[in-house]
Parts: sequence; C-alpha cells; structure tokens
Amino acid sequence: MKRFGRTQWLIVIALVLVVALTGLFAVRTFRRAVYWSLHRDETIRPWMSVPYVAHSYRVPPHALYEALGIPHPPHDRRPIRELAHEQNRPAEELIAILEKAIAHEREIQPNPSPIPPNPGRSP
Amino acid sequence: MSITDQLLAALSQYGLPMLFGVTAIAAVGVPLPISLMLVAAGSFVELGEMKLWQVIVVAGAAAVLGDQVGYALGRWGGQRLLARVKRRKDGAAKITQAQRFAQRWGGAGIFFSRWLVTPLGPWLNLTSGIAAYPWSRFLCWDVLGELLWVIAYVMLGKFFSDRIQALVEVLGNLGWVIVGLIATVILSQQLLRYLRPRKVSSEKKLSTA
Repeated sequence: MKRFGRTQWLIVIALVLVVALTGLFAVRTFRRAVYWSLHRDETIRPWMSVPYVAHSYRVPPHALYEALGIPHPPHDRRPIRELAHEQNRPAEELIAILEKAIAHEREIQPNPSPIPPNPGRSP
Repeated sequence: MSITDQLLAALSQYGLPMLFGVTAIAAVGVPLPISLMLVAAGSFVELGEMKLWQVIVVAGAAAVLGDQVGYALGRWGGQRLLARVKRRKDGAAKITQAQRFAQRWGGAGIFFSRWLVTPLGPWLNLTSGIAAYPWSRFLCWDVLGELLWVIAYVMLGKFFSDRIQALVEVLGNLGWVIVGLIATVILSQQLLRYLRPRKVSSEKKLSTA
C-alpha cells in the first residue's frame, strides 16, 4: 500500500469534514421533516395573504376578514403587511387578531374538513 | 421584515412579473431565496391566485434568460482572463484540457446543476462560457434542466400548499445533503485513484518509453 503524502492527508481531512457535515444536515433534514409532519401550523408572517393564512390553518377566509373588519374580496393577493399599511396599524396587531380568530374558529369547529382552496376561482 | 419576507410579499401582490424578475436575477448568480419563491408560487396556484402553466412558462423563461447572461459573461468577459492564463507557462495546454473536459462532461454538469445541485448553477454558466462550451448544446441542457427544476418545485409547493415555509426549510437542508454526498464521492474517488493507479496508464508509459 502506498504511503500518504501531504495532498492525500488533506483529502482525508476534507473527506472527514464533508462526511460529518453531510451527516449533520441529514439528521437536521430528518428532524425537521418529522417535526413538520407532527406540527401542521405555520407561524403567521407579514408576507402572507389572508387567503393563504386561511388555507394554511384550514379555517374559512370570511371568518378572518370579519375579524379584521374588512370585506372579503374574491381574489385578494394583498399581504398582511399591505393590509396593515392600509389600516395604519402594525402588522403584528393584525397577526394577533388573526391568531385569535383562528383559535375562536377552531373552538367552534374542532376538526375542520379541508376547505376547497378557492371556491370562486374561474375555470 | 427580512429580504425573504419582502420578496414573498411582493410575489403575493404583483405575481408573475415579480416571479420573472427574481428568477432571472437569481439565475445570474445573485443569492436570492428562489426555491422559496417557486414553492410559494406553487402554493398561490393551489389558492387560485396564479395559473400553473403561466408560472412554469414565466419562471422557466426567466431562469433560462438569466443563465444565458451568465454564459455570455463567461464567454466574452472571460476572454481577458483567458488571455492572461494563456500567457503563462503551459497555460494554453491547460485551457485546451479544460475545454475538452467541458465538452465531455459539460452537458451532465449543466443539466444536474439546474435542479439537483442548484448552488453550482451560476458558476457552471460562467465556466461553460469561459470554456467555450457550444452555446446550442448549453441552451438545450439548460432548458431541460430548468424546466425540470421549475416543475418540481412548483408542484411541491402546490402539493404542500398549506406549509411552504416548513417545506423550504426541509428542502434547504436536503440540498446541502446532496452537495455533501457528491463531494464525498468525488473525494473518495481521488483517494482510491491514488491507492489503486490504473493499469492502463502504466502500460501506456511502458509503451511510450
């Protein structure tokens, strides 16, 4: 068997590092996948639109619009950030209202059936 | 809000033009969270805010356009760099060797860096241009790979439309696992090649001696 030179030792060190990092990322991927398969809810963020939040939390969109005190337009792409800007309120305040409305909606209907994404969608 | 959140908000609000711009800029090499944008677009398709074929065509065209810019930068901007390398001792021979390598493996490299090892994509655009890999072949592999990438991510977003943040986190980690596995294979091959030199090369040496 050949003896290792400097280059070969460097390759061995790089190989060990790469294998360790790959293993670390593999474990993280697995743990994240398991965690998200058990916890369905996403944290509400200012980029999300009300229809997306409603879809993600499986609650009817009109309940969320009602809680925010605004009418329910058919194709609303406005992110929460934009709605907050329109209402002159911080986005965090709107998020808190949405969270409360979702909790309330789940109390009324503990096991909601999947809501069709957009009933008013044109073909 | 972070840049990612700003981009997602803009994608939600402005739709396809935003998707086109961000995808093209990311394909040139600007580090933008493009996987998340595609997955989000898939989710918006499921919500009925965007149409599937429009998202695929727009994102695919933008990615291919961005890649062509990268290739052109390498091909014409890289000439000055090439001229400098050529002036060095053995420089011209090394460039010929690199060009031969690109001719042989370039297609596979371009294809897989579009959808499987995406962090390498912008680099391969530049190096394909510098190595003067034939543009028609570059375009062909590029279109195939980008379409596969766009369709895969948009469909994933459509399928997991209610939790795209979680999906992107898992995909991000998985991407590094794939890069790590490829690096492991390459490094192991290097070591094996040193430990077991090929018989063919030693026979060749004997015959030329």
